[in-house]
Amino acid sequence: MVKKKKSAQETAATDEPVTIDATSINDLRECLEEIKSYKGVIGYILRNSTSAAIDLKDPTKLIDYAILSSSALDASEEFSELFNLGKIKSIIVEGKDVKKLSLTVDENRISIFMEKNTDCEKILKRLHKLGRNR
Amino acid sequence: MNDEVYSFALKSTLNEIRNICPGVKNSFMFKEDGEIITGEDESPKKVIARVIDTFGGILEKADAIGGVDCVTFECSKGRMDVSRMDDFYLVTVTSRKADVDHVNTVTRVLIPTVLKLLKKIHPASLKSISSTPEIKREDQTVEEGVEPAEEFTEEPETEELEESLEPEPVLPEPPINQLIVENLAGLFVSSDTVRIDSKILAEWEKLYDGRRIYEAEIETFDGKAMQCKVKPIKDLKYEGKGIIRMPEKMQLTLEIKKGELVRIKPIIE
Repeated sequence: MVKKKKSAQETAATDEPVTIDATSINDLRECLEEIKSYKGVIGYILRNSTSAAIDLKDPTKLIDYAILSSSALDASEEFSELFNLGKIKSIIVEGKDVKKLSLTVDENRISIFMEKNTDCEKILKRLHKLGRNR
Repeated sequence: MNDEVYSFALKSTLNEIRNICPGVKNSFMFKEDGEIITGEDESPKKVIARVIDTFGGILEKADAIGGVDCVTFECSKGRMDVSRMDDFYLVTVTSRKADVDHVNTVTRVLIPTVLKLLKKIHPASLKSISSTPEIKREDQTVEEGVEPAEEFTEEPETEELEESLEPEPVLPEPPINQLIVENLAGLFVSSDTVRIDSKILAEWEKLYDGRRIYEAEIETFDGKAMQCKVKPIKDLKYEGKGIIRMPEKMQLTLEIKKGELVRIKPIIE
């Protein structure tokens, strides 16, 4: 298990809002820990403007997964603008071996990685429930 | 049976899908190298080019999950799906009211069936689709309103059909490739030379019995065209990605920028 926190220096350059509700972040992490115990889930990446938490079964894939997550989230914003699709609710990228679910809860960018045949509806419901409660 | 027929068949299929499923706002198909195969009537080429360029970013980074089979962007006003079908990617944009299951069922049955049929009829041509008569015609109408390009005004729609009836054409029609613009900079960069995949150059040279291709004509979707020298891409990271590396000065002349799509065809001396 790998957990990483960005330094204040690293995050100072970002334009995103800096105010983070610590309790909310903790709720989110708890929720992600619960999701990680679901069958087929292989890890997650949680990022916001001040911190990052990463928990992957195979830490060697960390960078590749992080870059892919970032690309998909950035692309979704462009596609939404191009086709007037409104606010992005979720992104699912299915590969040959692995499936990735990405979404944004408040200012937190979340990516959850799972085996391809895993049903991500349960995960989405759990995360949306968290989003509604906040 | 030729490439135009394939593109026409796929375009008709996409249009029919749109008729069957009113929730489908846009749909089009492209190859992994960024080449547009076809798009239904409501998808502007510039938008398609931007999608392909952006989606290319995901494709490049998807090796970690074994490539991309399918991507779904679920949004508040609709969704966008990108599905791999054989060597192609099908993009469908649907409104919030669309019956997604119905759309998926229709697309996942119709498109593979059409592709399978086309492959059976003529397997070679499907791989070499490079431009479509539909795209040409649409561009012509746009160009006529903006700035008529010499080549298009001289080339009536029926010309190709008539030519195909001629017994012995001297040279084959120049193939047209669609490529995504990438910047080309550096101290020794010549301002009148573009760089493209060596594979494309080799295909051109093969088509013209080994003649060396030194020059090509570039056209934008806004009707701007120019002739320039053409050389193979040196940098391996740009190889095989459907990219044309172009100096900034040339981009300014053509009024295009990085990420936009252009057409290129060889000039035979």
